[in-house]
Amino acid sequence: MNAEEKPPVFKTWSRWYWLVLAVLVVQVFLYFWLTQSFA
Amino acid sequence: MNYLDWIVLFGTIAFIVVYGTLKTRGNKTIEGYLKGDNSMKWWMIGVSIMATQASAITFLSTPGQAIEDGMRFIQFYFGLPLAMVIIAVTIVPIYYRLKVYTAYEYLETRFDLKTRSLAALLFLMLRGVSAGITLFAPALVLSTILGWSVNITTVLIGTLVIVYVVSGGTRAVSLTQRYQMTVIMGGMILAGFLAYSMLPAGISFGDTVQIAGEMGKLNLVNLEFNPNDRYNIWSGLIAGGFLSLSYFGTDQSQVSRYLGGTSESESKLGLIFNGLFKIPMQFVILFIGVLVYVFYLFNQPPIFHNKVLKERAMETSQVEVLRSLDAEYNSLYAAKRVAVDDLVDAIHQEEEQAIAKSKEEVIKLQKQEVSLRDSVKATISAAIPNAKTQDRDYIFLNFVLSNLPHGIVGLLLAVMFSAAMSSMASELNALAATTCMDIYKRSINQKETTIHYVKASRWFTVLWALLAMVFAMLASFAENLIQFVNIVGSLFYGTILGIFLTAFYVKRVQGTAVFCAAILAEGIVLYCYAYTEIAFLLYNIIGCGVVMIVSLLLQMVLPQKESSKVIDENHFI
Repeated sequence: MNAEEKPPVFKTWSRWYWLVLAVLVVQVFLYFWLTQSFA
Repeated sequence: MNYLDWIVLFGTIAFIVVYGTLKTRGNKTIEGYLKGDNSMKWWMIGVSIMATQASAITFLSTPGQAIEDGMRFIQFYFGLPLAMVIIAVTIVPIYYRLKVYTAYEYLETRFDLKTRSLAALLFLMLRGVSAGITLFAPALVLSTILGWSVNITTVLIGTLVIVYVVSGGTRAVSLTQRYQMTVIMGGMILAGFLAYSMLPAGISFGDTVQIAGEMGKLNLVNLEFNPNDRYNIWSGLIAGGFLSLSYFGTDQSQVSRYLGGTSESESKLGLIFNGLFKIPMQFVILFIGVLVYVFYLFNQPPIFHNKVLKERAMETSQVEVLRSLDAEYNSLYAAKRVAVDDLVDAIHQEEEQAIAKSKEEVIKLQKQEVSLRDSVKATISAAIPNAKTQDRDYIFLNFVLSNLPHGIVGLLLAVMFSAAMSSMASELNALAATTCMDIYKRSINQKETTIHYVKASRWFTVLWALLAMVFAMLASFAENLIQFVNIVGSLFYGTILGIFLTAFYVKRVQGTAVFCAAILAEGIVLYCYAYTEIAFLLYNIIGCGVVMIVSLLLQMVLPQKESSKVIDENHFI
């Protein structure tokens, strides 16, 4: 692990990756809710 | 179109081209020309990645797709964030460690020269054809709308791109893409806002969303697993993720976007940016299509959206048939409008039974409308043999030209030109980089100065642009352009992805085994295309699978060499 590997904002890159996945999950739930609410 | 539209259109395009050219000219090193001197920040990389993927046909077709088919297309992008994470974790560190100019350079370090050259050639064939289609599709639509020859719009877009890409290379591509994306998203959001603001008084935003939902346009997520259904959450996550992995991880037009970062961290953040914002961007574009759909519930749309083609058909012996279909359509729309008003009243009064009844009536009339449109298309086909009667790509631009105020019309046309130019610029830059670094410099002429290779890259850019223009002018044979691009992509992507996945994840396999497996895989895919009825999307899986499995089997009988394993053992252990 070199100095290059330190990400901004979060302590580790894995937190960035979890953020991407969390945002994906939130979007899927939001779109599913929209689909169900207005079908 | 009036003078204001022309000023906005040419002013916007001229600013982007001139500014991009002046700001980035004078590259004297190959690092500067092909990697932008590694000067790109994360947000520039993210914007550039998004601009490269979103071609003009995205902005022409996607709103039309939402109008006809609802928003379910968004599920196709659900696998993209997963692919961004995988690429950031596994692929970006390898490319940075090796300081490569192109993705295929890595294959020589991992395997050997012949495998690198094979992957580069497959990419050049795939992307060379795609560049022609990327250029032709918007050129055709814009030529029809503007009443110009398709050859003029093709040469105009191609020449504008040549000017700044030849001059500034990767930096010019990235710099202009920032302004192009600003124009594109600003123009699209403005069009959506205007579509909403032109709805009748008393229709709130909530009403608009509810009407769209009642009409089945908010069909964003389908949890049912059905292999025959093109868009559901599972196909989006699995097939969409698979395609994103190959496109963003191994296609030089995308790899070159993030290789230009100031550091590995900036490149990773650029990919994360794409993973976070790509789906919301597609949502916005699809929702603009839904707003246009609701607008057309209250305002009569044309029965056929390619007006020029219909006018040509009206000059033939089919004129009376078309007139009678027009009259039938007018009375059908009048009935539909009454049913839509009933639906709005029922929604305002929150009466479930009345909503269901009027919704059923609108859907019934809508089905009759679709049937009438099909009759018009059949009549136009009879009037003009070989005419392209698919008019989905014209719906959004037709709405813009017929309903939006002057100035905004020019801006929206600038959006389409910008989108065409941004994706073509990345493709040309990638084609030139691969031709120069993977073929010319590596195998033909190794001992020249850096200035020579910069000049060579510029000439390769011009050459590929000219080839794309010639191909675009000959491309009218393809009835369905998007499908044609996908077929061409599927012929080569599977093999390329198979080579890269073997390189990344099957470390015991070496050059000769993967090279022979790739040749065999490509032969099998081409055989499937020529002699079988197998669905073309499966070529990706066949090509990739054959490369990985056959190379593993071949490696069992071929002797192991030591030299090509070092970099990967460093990475994988």
